[in-house]
Amino acid sequence: MSAHADSQTFNRIVGIHKPDCEMLMRCDPVPEAPLPGEAELVAALGSEQTAEYAMACRSIYEDLRRVIGQLAGLMILARVTRKIEFVELEQVDNCTKRWTDAGARIGALKAPGPVARHKQQIEAAHDFCGRVLKTFPQLSSRTDLDVTFDEMGEHLKQAYQNLSRASSHEAGLVMVDFANACCSCGR
Amino acid sequence: MSDYSIWVCEYSYVKDYHKSGVLYGAHNQGYVKLPYCYVVIKGRDHIAMVDVGYNDKEYGKHLGDKFGVENWRSPKTVLGAIGIKPEEVDTCFITHAHFDHFGNVEDFPNAKFYIQEREIAKWVWAMSLPDRMRWMMIAVDPGDIVRGVDLARDKRLVTVDGSLENVLPGIDLHAAFDSHTYGSMWVTVRNDGKEQSDDIWVLAGDLVYVFENIAGPGGAVDLEEIYTPVGLAVGSQTNLVMATEEMMKQANYEAKRVIPVHEERIKDVFPSRTTSEGLRITEICLADGETSKVTG
Repeated sequence: MSAHADSQTFNRIVGIHKPDCEMLMRCDPVPEAPLPGEAELVAALGSEQTAEYAMACRSIYEDLRRVIGQLAGLMILARVTRKIEFVELEQVDNCTKRWTDAGARIGALKAPGPVARHKQQIEAAHDFCGRVLKTFPQLSSRTDLDVTFDEMGEHLKQAYQNLSRASSHEAGLVMVDFANACCSCGR
Repeated sequence: MSDYSIWVCEYSYVKDYHKSGVLYGAHNQGYVKLPYCYVVIKGRDHIAMVDVGYNDKEYGKHLGDKFGVENWRSPKTVLGAIGIKPEEVDTCFITHAHFDHFGNVEDFPNAKFYIQEREIAKWVWAMSLPDRMRWMMIAVDPGDIVRGVDLARDKRLVTVDGSLENVLPGIDLHAAFDSHTYGSMWVTVRNDGKEQSDDIWVLAGDLVYVFENIAGPGGAVDLEEIYTPVGLAVGSQTNLVMATEEMMKQANYEAKRVIPVHEERIKDVFPSRTTSEGLRITEICLADGETSKVTG
């Protein structure tokens, strides 16, 4: 099956709007779900410096959370359908852009002593995502896809584990958005 | 003749869940107990599950502290109460990818998992959207999808596109796209094995939370009862109502045969017991030769 046909297949599955859909781009911003503010973070995390770090870290954490989720979904589709063209879709470009942007912000992130280890975990998660992303373009030339997928899967797990270790409810770094979720009892 | 036994097994619960979450438009109507359950189907030399719950190691403390989720017990304990080990489960139907349905695949090491292809693909799509649309990603854990990669590697994950008949003998999958989630599905058990079954059970996942989703108050429109969809839908309530109609049609409009797993009052309709762990087991039906796990 051609890449074009697979692209059509993916679009059939996801249906209505693509990420670059004009209608989506026109939407007005809506308020973010409530997360701890800076004052609450200072109280929770103990120092202004740490709170500033946590605030700056949020968007990076969110980007990596999404990159990991997207990569996992694409790998499932590619592996189950045996169509590696799935990983050449524009969603991979989106993912790469998000990963690149996150990398730039990690570079600029100031991590005071107590959170230096935390930053290392964020960096490791970013690094492992990068290894998966960089393998995607090489898939079509690989002869043993299962071995390659296994390696990618291991890197993805490492990325997830590092990001999980960097999670903190106090800092608003959470893996699952429970707002409005099945478990939300409205308290 | 009945091929399968079906039990709804509670593995945790929220004492006070706002009613508007389970019933569209039920604002300021107080709280209901919301049990978290999965379904066990046993027969024809198979043990299958509809959904697998969540892993308390990952979420337990947060859910307990923030949302009042109580009394989580592992599948080993919960299934043990009906004489089944998690290792004996060979098939799991994942109705959708929310963490409380797809969050514990690790406890079923010998099972093959079925999920709608669209549930995965739309997740990839939703994750690529701008931050301001983050609502569309609620309740899905990237970690569950990462674990799905391992299942795919082990050839234990099957992605389904729409309906699929006889996944196991007499057991069918049906899609409800863009409803509660993008790729939700329900499971039907034709317990007499016939194509046009007279003994069908519909396991609704989160397409139906409570009885009122099927038989809601219709007084405002001069009807005794109307379908009133669940509150939470990333798709639409229209699609939920259409799925409800399809499920009811399959059940020959016998509402009792559409099983809502989050419904506490199901214990008033089917034989049930509370285990020593304080969790409920409800026996929907018994296969020929199977003994009751809730009576005697």
